[in-house]
Amino acid sequence: MKRLVLAVLLVFVIAFSAVAQQAVVSPALFEEIGKPGGELVLGLATAPRSFNFYGIIDNAAYTILYNIIEPLVEENPATGEIIPGLAKSWEVDESGTEVTFHLRDVKWSDGTPFTADDVVFTMEHVVMNPNAEGNSVDRFTLGGKPVLWEKIDEKTVKAILPSPYGAFTRVLTHALMVPKHKYEPFIAALNDGVEPGTINQAWTTDTPLSDIVGTGPFVLSEYVVDQKVTLQRNPNYWKVDPEGNQLPYLDKLVYLVVQDEQVMLAQFRSGEIHRVTITGQNYPGLKREELDGANYRVLAGSPVSPVPSPPHLAFNWDVEDEELRAIFRNDKFRQAMEHTIDRHRIIEDVYNTLAIIPGVPVLPANAAFYNPAIEDIMREYDLEKARQLLDEVGIKDRGDGVRVLPSGRPFELTLTTAVNVQPHNDIAVILESEWQELGITTHLQLVSSTLVGQRRTAGEYQAIIEAFGNQPDPQLRKAIWQPGRSLYYWHRSTMDENQEPVLANMEDWELRVFDLFELGEVEMDPVQRKAYYDEWQAIYAERVPVIFIAKGMELQAVSNDIGNIFLRPNGQIVGTNYTAFVK
Amino acid sequence: MFRYIVRRLVTMIPMMIVISILCFTVIKLQPGDFTTQFLTDPRITPEQVAQIRERLGLDQSPVVQYLTWMKGILTRGDFGYSFAYKRPVQELIWERMGWTVAVAGATIVFSWVVAIPIGIYSATHKYSFFDYLLTFIGFIGVSIPSFFLALILMYLSLSLGGTAVGGLFSQQYIGAPWSWAKVVDLVRHLWIPVIAIGLSGTAGLIRLMRGSLLDVLGTQYITTAKGKGLSQRVVIYKHAVRNAINPLISVFGMQLPELISGTIIASIVLNLPTMGPFFYDALINSDQYLVMTFLMLSALLMLIGNLLADILLALTDPRIRYE
Repeated sequence: MKRLVLAVLLVFVIAFSAVAQQAVVSPALFEEIGKPGGELVLGLATAPRSFNFYGIIDNAAYTILYNIIEPLVEENPATGEIIPGLAKSWEVDESGTEVTFHLRDVKWSDGTPFTADDVVFTMEHVVMNPNAEGNSVDRFTLGGKPVLWEKIDEKTVKAILPSPYGAFTRVLTHALMVPKHKYEPFIAALNDGVEPGTINQAWTTDTPLSDIVGTGPFVLSEYVVDQKVTLQRNPNYWKVDPEGNQLPYLDKLVYLVVQDEQVMLAQFRSGEIHRVTITGQNYPGLKREELDGANYRVLAGSPVSPVPSPPHLAFNWDVEDEELRAIFRNDKFRQAMEHTIDRHRIIEDVYNTLAIIPGVPVLPANAAFYNPAIEDIMREYDLEKARQLLDEVGIKDRGDGVRVLPSGRPFELTLTTAVNVQPHNDIAVILESEWQELGITTHLQLVSSTLVGQRRTAGEYQAIIEAFGNQPDPQLRKAIWQPGRSLYYWHRSTMDENQEPVLANMEDWELRVFDLFELGEVEMDPVQRKAYYDEWQAIYAERVPVIFIAKGMELQAVSNDIGNIFLRPNGQIVGTNYTAFVK
Repeated sequence: MFRYIVRRLVTMIPMMIVISILCFTVIKLQPGDFTTQFLTDPRITPEQVAQIRERLGLDQSPVVQYLTWMKGILTRGDFGYSFAYKRPVQELIWERMGWTVAVAGATIVFSWVVAIPIGIYSATHKYSFFDYLLTFIGFIGVSIPSFFLALILMYLSLSLGGTAVGGLFSQQYIGAPWSWAKVVDLVRHLWIPVIAIGLSGTAGLIRLMRGSLLDVLGTQYITTAKGKGLSQRVVIYKHAVRNAINPLISVFGMQLPELISGTIIASIVLNLPTMGPFFYDALINSDQYLVMTFLMLSALLMLIGNLLADILLALTDPRIRYE
């Protein structure tokens, strides 16, 4: 009897502790409760070059690793809210500079417990290691000072911030935790005779897969060079569905390497691949096949994620030609050019109607930061207004339909963009015809996207169509949109050769934008932060340092054999690998 | 003969050095370097990019970079480090060698096995209906780019209900242990690349074989052989073809580098796990030591192929002597 009681008690304790470390996934990710088993096959455009999240810049590697390793705090894939990840809770002290994280009781896939040591190690020696080629030092440095990490006990970690940091938890969602016991030998600071760059050689493609351990829903089980990456379910994963069933449902997650987009689509059609991202050009054909009874569904989701990056038009404020430089710096000129952009036509012709009017540049779906006031500021397509404004700037029609600069020279513009990015290419052609209509001789310079990047960095262009992804928090794009930063490329003279901002070279409103980003960075109150970024968006919409053109919708096609990949009522596509299942 | 081979092998050394200098110069003429891609990433500051360049040795002059690379090869057999993969380049190339040689080998065998008989038939049945037909197909093979042919074949296969598009195996057989079913699956996939890539080679070989054999068939010793009353079979196969094959042996030598370089675009379209797409990626990323090693290997195979062709010629044709 005593033994029985003990046994029952033991069962209870085990059951309770199992429940205690599990967490129920947000119901927003479920269309229905799944069933275990089966495999999901996805495509990868390139083979991963490494399995080291911090050693490379490689989307294929990131795609795979997001299934394997996890951050302290996560973004809810449906709503974008910050939710607990490996940290089950956290609190911020009154000063806003100390954040204490309480870690979940989970194990690495090789059975080693996940502890505070792993967190401190990952942050100090990997994420914030400047020698790691995929590091995030910049995101965890405030006013030149790094965030400090301190272990309180095995399951508690404290982050000490140099100043309050409003986007702190948001940037943490991109800092995935790696196991100290596997990464330590590659760290120069902890080993004699190891070189600083060695961190990049951790978890290369020849690493035994059993050494690549994580806490995520899947673990690597096989890599066939340049052909296929197979992951298996992590049976001890800590997430459960709303009915308490263990996640992930899938036994296997397979990534096939298919370089050519058309071949990937062909493999999707033949049923070999279950889910693909498609372009506006492929949408009508696939949709027709769906309606004709093909075994797949085509989803057009409202834009919520950073990609596809929305294209914008920019002018080089530091172009060598002095007359042009003055023109490009003139607000009225850029406003005139905004009037030449027929966004509705572009959405129809270039995107097959599968795009929306973009934010400036915050996405309209981003409730936390979008400022709807910009909709009234953004300028409509109106060539007549464009003509008036150009006249005011001094670029006048000399009588034969050709516009000339104040010096009397005909106004000619070279527009640079990527020949291998279809929307950019098509937009450039449309702009060319609008500008010719205004009497501006336009030369298209269509080159490879790599070359566009180089010309942009070197300041060798007049007008350019480029694109940067939207991120949920403006702080994550500070390096682009804050004047004086490395990717504020249209006005490079706001930064000196030591990469420091030069306030003296900024316009008044640029100074204000600069300040707003500085204020937003250290503000902890979400309402106040939004107010700062609202003002920034309004200034951008008014002064148009760059002109945003359109934002493509998220287009995917999914096999009907796979469940829990669907359109939410708000029009957004959701579907994670750990909630997907085989019907 | 032996002295000749040794002499040829020794002259390869200065040749390889000149080739390596040329290749390195061309790579360095390409704008930007491996770190250029970091400049567009908002997470990485330009300062860090400078650090990475320094660590990879890209801040040194091209001459120093070249000499350091050469020194590594000569002293340690180290062909350098791939910036993109963070691994030694010879390992990376070796990993991909198997399928590359297998696919290219199958293609080359296909083109020879198909081309030689057709070439002989065309020559011996000059201006017949089948000669015109085969020559016509040959011209099509020469003029259609192999990647385009690959697309057409895949389209045909798909629209006829096939599911084998791209790659060498269906998903479930990739990485699986060898079995009869896996071999069948391989064959179901392999015919598209073999035909698509092989056809252009085939067409060229048919033209060459036909032309060469026609030349020989017009010579006096053939007339003599016929006049002596030898059977048509003996005249053609024993006397004519043996002499007509010489130009093809030279071509065979040239095909050796194709074993690794092959046709890049066709391999991308066909999704083959071979060196072509891998090399293309390395070029795009300016992964310079990977590109260099690959080019050097290709050049070496070319030189060896030529040598082999010369040796084969000496063996098949008693008139050729290199002493």
